[in-house]
Amino acid sequence: MQMRPDLQIKSVIKAMNDVVLPAVDPQNKLAQEQVRLCMGLLGLMAKQLPLQFRFDCDELARLSAYSAELQRIASGGGETGAALAALAEKTADANATLERAKSSPYDIEQAVRSLREATGSLVSGVFRDGDSAVQDRVQRATLAMSKEQLLRDRAWVITQGWEPDPKSVPPIEQLLGISAS
Amino acid sequence: MPVVDKDRPSPDWIAALRKRFPIEKEIDRVLTRKMERRAGPGYSPMPLGTLIEGTESLIRSQFGGKCQLSDARWLSGGASKLQMAFVLDWDRPGQGRQKTPMVLRMEPAESIVETSRLREFQLIKAFEGTVPVPPVFWCDAEGQHLPYPALVYGFSEGVTKPSAAHSGVTGLGTHLPPELRGKLAPQFVECLAKIHTFDYRKADLSAFQIPEANSTQCAEWGVNWWTRVWEEDADEEVPLMRLAEAWLRRHMPVMDRAVTVHADYRLGNFLFTEHDARISAWLDWELGRIGDRHQDLAWTTTRAFGHLAEDGKTFLTCGLLPEAEFLDAYEKATGLKVDTNAVHWYKVYNDYMMATLLFATGYRIANGGKTHQDVLITWLMGIGNTLLEEMRTLIEEAP
Repeated sequence: MQMRPDLQIKSVIKAMNDVVLPAVDPQNKLAQEQVRLCMGLLGLMAKQLPLQFRFDCDELARLSAYSAELQRIASGGGETGAALAALAEKTADANATLERAKSSPYDIEQAVRSLREATGSLVSGVFRDGDSAVQDRVQRATLAMSKEQLLRDRAWVITQGWEPDPKSVPPIEQLLGISAS
Repeated sequence: MPVVDKDRPSPDWIAALRKRFPIEKEIDRVLTRKMERRAGPGYSPMPLGTLIEGTESLIRSQFGGKCQLSDARWLSGGASKLQMAFVLDWDRPGQGRQKTPMVLRMEPAESIVETSRLREFQLIKAFEGTVPVPPVFWCDAEGQHLPYPALVYGFSEGVTKPSAAHSGVTGLGTHLPPELRGKLAPQFVECLAKIHTFDYRKADLSAFQIPEANSTQCAEWGVNWWTRVWEEDADEEVPLMRLAEAWLRRHMPVMDRAVTVHADYRLGNFLFTEHDARISAWLDWELGRIGDRHQDLAWTTTRAFGHLAEDGKTFLTCGLLPEAEFLDAYEKATGLKVDTNAVHWYKVYNDYMMATLLFATGYRIANGGKTHQDVLITWLMGIGNTLLEEMRTLIEEAP
């Protein structure tokens, strides 16, 4: 997956800066201002996107510690008691989520790149010095894996309109096992 | 994959790639130049004045006579090269004083497809009088006068699609009415036949090498070319590309005779005049080579370049005529047989090349800010998935 948002944002900012902004009427102050705001927000997005997950985890950890502290120090009547019970339940859920979130999207992306590299090297190696039966098996496995991955890669960019028969490509949500709700 | 810093490649690594993938000398030269300059700055917008000055310098050095350049303006279109239109007031040899509309075609810092302006210049020049081509005037092969290598050619009359037609960003998806395609289709076949039966030995094609007939050298040079580009540019590995390279090497076709290959022969790459439906110029010769005719046949019959006829059943090659009719007419016009296995191999090869350009080079240059069209390059990367799936299916269904 090379067509990631970071590359897309970088290209859009360059086009806005090099081509669009110089062509906007200098007398149209609103348009001038909005082009610069668009570029500014895109620049902010480019900076935030790689950190978003870590930022959210960091906040969740802080909230969890704060919740624990509140449970330790807070007491009161029936309303407080009910709130404390609810808070204890939500804190346990949050801690479980944090525990599961030890790998970041960056870690996943690096692992994907690493396995792409290692499997690609193996394919090349087998076709250099493996026997033909092994080569046939590796070819079948590579074609089968690629078929499934490419279906998702095509669904990921379906709105660009490249597919000759877009109905033959299932929605990306379905392929990723995300329910409609 | 990037243990090597491909944005700052070392001389040793460049030398190792050159040794590992033997290719034609001129292609080796432009790819080596690309890698040697990679660590340099990206593309910055340049004023028209810079191009006007460079163009005047180029013309003065090669023409010599008095001339005046005017009406310079940017042209849009094309993902790979910058284009400036202008008018030259000059004493045209053999024709006297005239004002000739011309186009400067210049590379950006790095292009989605890194090719030789000298090869493009020689090939177009060679075909003057054989098939309709735009007149080419001067070539700055090394970028001695302009910021980057460039050539100057003349305007040709005509359109790539009917004025009223609609097509996508790449010019694909154009539908021609039956009457028009009935007039264009015979010329389309005839021009290809002339290109493939052209006696290239009589032309100045010094920037080209001729692969050995009755051998797999042509196919091997091609696989080496694009595998080298993959190695130079790819950021992220794609196991299917490794399989494709191995498959291509395992099944390389023997080329029976060397011909000139246009390498981008399709609807959208020729101009025609609307009043008489005559093809007036064949464009985009930059990937041309001396090689196997099946490369062009595989490219031209690519599904993406055609569409169904009005009956909803008949698939039209390049939107012009049914594939069987196209191949039959081609065999009759050239006297050359079509080997369907070789066509199949070159379809895989063409997808391999396109996937390399889109995923490897496209990523590398857009990320490095190397072109005037980074946003278009990034947009085009999306079609790479569809091409990879086509390549995967072709390998799976190979005879």
